Amino acid sequence: MKRIVVVGSGASGVHFAQTALELGAHVTMLDVGRVAPSPVLPDASFARFKREHDDPAGYFLGKRFEGVLFPGAKGEYYGFPPHKGFIFASHERFSLRAQGFDPLHSFARGGLAEAWTGGAFPFHERELTDFPISAQELHASYGVVAGRIGISGAADDLARFTPVHENLSAPLALDEHSRRLEERYARERTRLNGELRTWLGRTRAAVRAEDTAGRKGCTKLGRCLWSCPREALYTPSITLRELQHDERFTYLDGRFVTRVEADDANRVRRVHVIELASGRAEALDADCVVLAAGTLASGKLFLDSLRAHAGSAPVLRGLMDNRQVLVPFVNLAMLRRRYEPDSYQYHQLALGIERDDPRHYVHGLITTLKTALIHPIVQSVPLDLRSALWIFRNAHAALGIVNVNFHDERRDECGIELEVHGDSTRLVVRYEPSREEPERMRTALSTVRRALWQLGCVVPPGMAHVRPMGASVHYAGTLPMSAERRALTTSPVGESHDISGLYFADGSTFPFLPAKNLTFTLMANADRIARHVARS
Amino acid sequence: MADRATLERECDVFARYLAASAGDSYVKAQYVAAHEAGVVELAGTTAFQRRVVSLASSAPWSLRALDVHSRVFANGGLLRRKLVLLLAILETRAPHDVELDTPTAGSAASMFVRMAWIGVVFALLLVASTVVLAPVALLSRAGDSK
Ligand SMILES: Cc1cc2nc3c(=O)[nH]c(=O)nc-3n(C[C@H](O)[C@H](O)[C@H](O)COP(=O)(O)OP(=O)(O)OC[C@H]3O[C@@H](n4cnc5c(N)ncnc54)[C@H](O)[C@@H]3O)c2cc1C
Ligand code: SF4
Repeated sequence: MKRIVVVGSGASGVHFAQTALELGAHVTMLDVGRVAPSPVLPDASFARFKREHDDPAGYFLGKRFEGVLFPGAKGEYYGFPPHKGFIFASHERFSLRAQGFDPLHSFARGGLAEAWTGGAFPFHERELTDFPISAQELHASYGVVAGRIGISGAADDLARFTPVHENLSAPLALDEHSRRLEERYARERTRLNGELRTWLGRTRAAVRAEDTAGRKGCTKLGRCLWSCPREALYTPSITLRELQHDERFTYLDGRFVTRVEADDANRVRRVHVIELASGRAEALDADCVVLAAGTLASGKLFLDSLRAHAGSAPVLRGLMDNRQVLVPFVNLAMLRRRYEPDSYQYHQLALGIERDDPRHYVHGLITTLKTALIHPIVQSVPLDLRSALWIFRNAHAALGIVNVNFHDERRDECGIELEVHGDSTRLVVRYEPSREEPERMRTALSTVRRALWQLGCVVPPGMAHVRPMGASVHYAGTLPMSAERRALTTSPVGESHDISGLYFADGSTFPFLPAKNLTFTLMANADRIARHVARS
Repeated sequence: MADRATLERECDVFARYLAASAGDSYVKAQYVAAHEAGVVELAGTTAFQRRVVSLASSAPWSLRALDVHSRVFANGGLLRRKLVLLLAILETRAPHDVELDTPTAGSAASMFVRMAWIGVVFALLLVASTVVLAPVALLSRAGDSK
């Protein structure tokens, strides 16, 4: 029987494993697997939580007050809550240096998507032209994954950019602010669609509105940013927990994978692992190794494996990520209203801007401000705090943000390589934005501003925030799938052209990155690859 | 770092400035704990910044003008750090969270009028505080360089 070893329990790894198990395979999953703290007061709403928790400042700001955003400190409108620190904590065995890139990586059970905001947008056929795969096959996998994790959305105007797949469930009821934006869009649609080539619709999110077998629906607790205590918002650790009931599944956490060993015929033989509790080195025999450690960690594992095998490691070119720009806005119709604390916190609407080249589509997630911590915003207003607070409390319900996403292409200037330090290696990540980027951003942001104006909103001048590359955490492209058998590429089903039996189930293999959040496609692609691996 | 009693008095005055009511014992304990954790007073804190804080807590009527001055000339300075810390603590704690974040009565149009007025007062307080604090700043700088 085939011995399949999967590295990583993130979105890519767990959906690969689930499909392989469903098709009868035996799977061993290796993972560092840091564990989340248990949920606190799971049924309490955001407001009730503050009344009932005996140390709310400790919970929201951290025991060392690391969640306080002091004036002048570098930070974003949404900071990561301190108790999510386990997701981003690095590991002493993983050394990384970056230029032009702010990388995030995770060694948590469930990986980075334990902190995601659930945006789940399928790629359109037009965006898959560089992928040497069948769009129909991927489309079927979207339906499979949606059935597992629960994706809500609607077949509305945005469907021209984000196709409708199987198992799309009804969207959550809109909060008041989003509802007003949607109504205004209905009135202004002709102008927006015609002149601005902008369409608006319900977001697609991995959140369930209704209770289903084993999962509770969203009851609008407003605690999404602090980890949904009901698990209505999907995270990969939910799937991992389900997989652990399968007797053909073995989960070995507390394992740091260092490299994959191949034989003289360049065929996978073993996986080398450090057992973290004892520091002991181990080797596991395997016929098939699936790297799902996230694009950066999988790239490092691959390079370390080549170096051990051939004595040196090349540069992996073509690293991609979506540039994101946060555009805050004020909806004049919502001024002086009370904000809704009991509501879903993340984006409920999205907008799409059509471009002549469909691959250059621009995607925006519209989040109306509800239960985030307010001090980071209040202190950024250029006034004394009392006046800033007065303005904020009267404008809170009217505030929102569009997270504008741009596509990326593989370019030689961007990539990853190893730096050798004695016995150990460090991953070096390099990124340079393309020369066309400033103009692309300028025109798209002008369209976003005009579209918001049309929707009755104003964008305060000078407040758009260009996030550093790396911040969107949509990493891809270092070992692209290719129909041709070329070194440092993979086959259309993710098998390395350098080491046979070694598969990549994460973003490493994407040859192009549309302006859309990629995790839903990571999961669908992992399902697709698992079907090939399990049947081969 | 100031002693506990001084910090508690500061917390009391600053909470009334931000939330219109004094912080309870939990808020005070958190405010003191953050100072003990060393996240408020940084290495670069000057004698002038300390003087501004002690003036603000001993003469609450001057606090808004001192906040205006600090926002423009020392946004990352001691007074602003203390105020932002307290705001962060208050917003996690009922009933202050609601006090801080409930809109006041009135129309959107009257809000713009009030905002214009806020801008005028801000400008006046900035001028006044700059004039009054200039000699204090000079004296403190002389003290720092000794
Ligand atoms: C705040 C935030 C919001 C986001 N929102 C969205 C969104 O709305 N929509 C969207 O599409 N995407 C979103 N993302 C991106 C999304 O989280 C990532 O694309 C996704 O998690 C990547 O999954 P992955 O399984 O490929 O890798 P990862 O999540 O990085 O998982 C890697 C796994 O591999 C394990 N691992 C790594 N190295 C080793 C090793 N050497 N040995 C053993 N185990 C190892 C780790 O423990 C982990 O389990 C967001 C990310 C963040 C941080
Ligand atoms: S609002 Fe957010 S935290 Fe509350 S149940 Fe829904 S998804 Fe979970």
